[in-house]
Amino acid sequence: MADLRFENLVKHFGGVHALDGVSGHVGEGEIVGLVGPNGSGKSTLINVLSGHYEADSGKIVLDGEDITDRPAHRIIEMGLARTYQIPRPFSTMTALENVSVPLMFGSEPMSPGAAREAALEWLEFTGLDAYADEPVSSLNLHQLKYLELARALAARPRLVFLDEVLSGLNPAEVNESIEMVRRIHASGITIVIVEHLVRVVTSLATRIMVLDRGRVIADGDPTEVMRQPEVVTAYLGKRAQSA
Amino acid sequence: MKKPRPWLAPAATLVIAVAMWFYPDLVDAAGWPIFYLLFAYTVFFWTAQASSWNLFTGFSGYFSFGQGAFYGVGVYTVGVMVVKRGWPLLPTFLVGGILAAALGLSIGLVVFRLRRLRGEIFALMTLAVAFVLGAVARISSTIDGGQGIPLSSVPTPEALGTHPQMIFRLGLITAVLAVVVAQVVQHSRLGWGLFSIRDDEDVAETLGVPTFRFKMIALGLTGFLAGLSGAVHALQVSYVTIEEVFNIRVPLMVILMSILGGTRHWMGPVLGALVVHTMSDRLNRAGLEAVSDIIVGALLILMIVAMKEGLYLRMRQRPLITAIGAAVGVAGGFVLGPLDSAVTHLGYTLLGAVLGAMIPVGSRRQRPERGAPAAQAIEEVVGG
Amino acid sequence: MSLWAQSIVSGLLSGGLYAMMSLGMSLSWGVLKIINLAHFSFILFSGYITYQLAFSYGWDPFLAIVVCVPVFALAGMALQWVFDKLRISEFESLLLTFGLFIIFESVTSAIWTADFRRMDTVQNPYQSQSVWLGDLALPVPQLAAFLVALVIALGTRYLMDRTDFGRAVRALSQDRDIARAFGIDPHRVAMQLAGLAAGFAAIAGVFVAMSRALFPGLAVEWFGIVFSVVILGGLGSTLGTLIAAAIVGVVGGIATVIGGPPLAPLAIFLVLIATLLFRPQGIMGRSAT
Repeated sequence: MADLRFENLVKHFGGVHALDGVSGHVGEGEIVGLVGPNGSGKSTLINVLSGHYEADSGKIVLDGEDITDRPAHRIIEMGLARTYQIPRPFSTMTALENVSVPLMFGSEPMSPGAAREAALEWLEFTGLDAYADEPVSSLNLHQLKYLELARALAARPRLVFLDEVLSGLNPAEVNESIEMVRRIHASGITIVIVEHLVRVVTSLATRIMVLDRGRVIADGDPTEVMRQPEVVTAYLGKRAQSA
Repeated sequence: MKKPRPWLAPAATLVIAVAMWFYPDLVDAAGWPIFYLLFAYTVFFWTAQASSWNLFTGFSGYFSFGQGAFYGVGVYTVGVMVVKRGWPLLPTFLVGGILAAALGLSIGLVVFRLRRLRGEIFALMTLAVAFVLGAVARISSTIDGGQGIPLSSVPTPEALGTHPQMIFRLGLITAVLAVVVAQVVQHSRLGWGLFSIRDDEDVAETLGVPTFRFKMIALGLTGFLAGLSGAVHALQVSYVTIEEVFNIRVPLMVILMSILGGTRHWMGPVLGALVVHTMSDRLNRAGLEAVSDIIVGALLILMIVAMKEGLYLRMRQRPLITAIGAAVGVAGGFVLGPLDSAVTHLGYTLLGAVLGAMIPVGSRRQRPERGAPAAQAIEEVVGG
Repeated sequence: MSLWAQSIVSGLLSGGLYAMMSLGMSLSWGVLKIINLAHFSFILFSGYITYQLAFSYGWDPFLAIVVCVPVFALAGMALQWVFDKLRISEFESLLLTFGLFIIFESVTSAIWTADFRRMDTVQNPYQSQSVWLGDLALPVPQLAAFLVALVIALGTRYLMDRTDFGRAVRALSQDRDIARAFGIDPHRVAMQLAGLAAGFAAIAGVFVAMSRALFPGLAVEWFGIVFSVVILGGLGSTLGTLIAAAIVGVVGGIATVIGGPPLAPLAIFLVLIATLLFRPQGIMGRSAT
């Protein structure tokens, strides 16, 4: 069960209200798309929900438990993982070592030796097993994004936040990544996907939340939501992705 | 993909340690100069200090300039408790280690809670704390009061032999302890957690690494090992003063030795301690003290610029040329002299090996250039 | 009462020298992201040159400024050029310059030995002279240092606010890539700034030589003072450096009255620790996210 609810999340940076009272929920088995123009607060919301940032106010409840002020390493134990928009691999480690780190921690920690063995499975899942012993500096962007995925999945999450996994990829890579997301979902993991490519999100997601300037302006069925006047206005004049 | 065998290094180290326990008897029987024991002790001392420093700083990336504080606590615990209060020696060593660990944990408790205290700011903080500690010790007459503490009349356990033999053995214990702890940590979850903190602490935290707890453990271990080694060292220093103990030399040396040898592997500080001390000892003996310091500074620069992985990993990548260099060094030693001491021969051998390893010939494995040294380094680490 | 007043005044005057020592470091660290420990070596070396010029050639110490500033400005520029070529990170610069610092200390020790070096009253007539403000003594070397520091600070402020160079520096410190897009050559600006910082260090060294005896290990004593001033003032801020230097100077002065000379560095380090804990961006710095 992965039932995530958040109420009235507020987060300021100096004078900027990145999140201005954001509420919503993610139910088990969903693929929730999180969209909105630049600066709407999508990444900040992910950062707050995954414990990377502390919310200034508001509540986060996972399966009935209040996890609002939990440190990030506890949140992952409870099954919430995330990837980073710009991949942040451990730069001095190989691909295999990167993936083995989360396996050594979390709710079912393994010894370093066992973690290395298990990590190979996750590399295979994302098709990176050939690069197991390569330093991450030799991987390209697409591979690094897959490494991010493998690493997040190795933490055995029930819910994973995918932060712009498609950005910077060429069309062929985008299609591969979409397939990867579907595979992850099929394996029983709930997904929240932040994406600029609205067309892609509409086809992937079971539900869409639209953020604009730190507020939720729409939440519901993908096609209906994207036709709502407020949503169209929010995107009007912005660079609309029309791939 | 080589399977790591984490038990191998500690086992080998302990075997070597047991063998070395009897080295003083060998020196005695063979009629070799006592200096061989004292030289070895000093290498042990620096090995313990550098290994303990590297355990926290090298592995986690949090640069500490405060090694002097831990060392100082160890020295002064013995000085104050044994000399002024008459405590028995051996338990006081442990107390010195524990107090230094407590100091480390207190610093960590305050500093690690504050997210913004990263990097160079953390380094400055440790420098400041070390200094403040020394200043407080100088001002407080219960500790030092500016007078210093004479240590020559401390009663020492006879079971360990004469003074040089005893100091050798005590130093051996502290060095072995520090090295074995570093070995165990390196291959443990703690070690991997620290390495991931070094690479990207925020990401490590979100992947489940309990960053605060691990940093505290590492810092506590550093403090204990450094304090223990410092406490033992009090016996070697006949008169303890604030200037001698709380100066920049200890932190500077451990930084240099670890960076020279390599901060990513437990063997780095060991090799660094051996090379730096041998070299500076021989140069000082030849009256070239200034040269020794200049070389120290130049080596530090060279490491930062050209050899970030450090000497140990570099030698492992170039075993053949390192061996050739060592052989040339030995030969050169016989030619150039002076042929006064085994330590001089050691010096030449090390010098040859170091210079050999530094030559930029192709390494044993071909690796992509970008980010190669450090990444290669971890490859090697995991492999063995 | 007058003892307190004197200590505060002396502290303020010392603050002038501290500001001179720290301004270069603040600019270098704040703008160039280089922590240059060789900066301390420059100060000391400049002091030794001042001493030597007075000792061997009878030069008035103030004249040494004419020699020292260009020499060290060039040294600073050369060092920065090397940093740029090697693409040294902020952290590596700390260690690398640590190596330079060690080398410098060795060299000064080799040339001038570990003995204390001080200009006598013939070579440096100023050391025993004071300007009197009622009951308060303002020793000439410290007073001169204070005034020169003010001039330097004001000059730097003008430089940063009103000149093209200053605008380039500010652009560089905010966003290197955007600055480059506007035609600013970061390497050249960095070199010029480094030269300026080293020049300030050289001037500080001259005044140090006028105020006290020199010995090779002296530079280490300044670490605490300069880092306290730089952090308290806020990296890259001229005004911050001035204010912080005054505060640190007065704190040191009062501490000396209360507990004697050993208490002064302790108090100053405590200032550093407190700043790092409670306001690491300093007086004039912006809050870090």
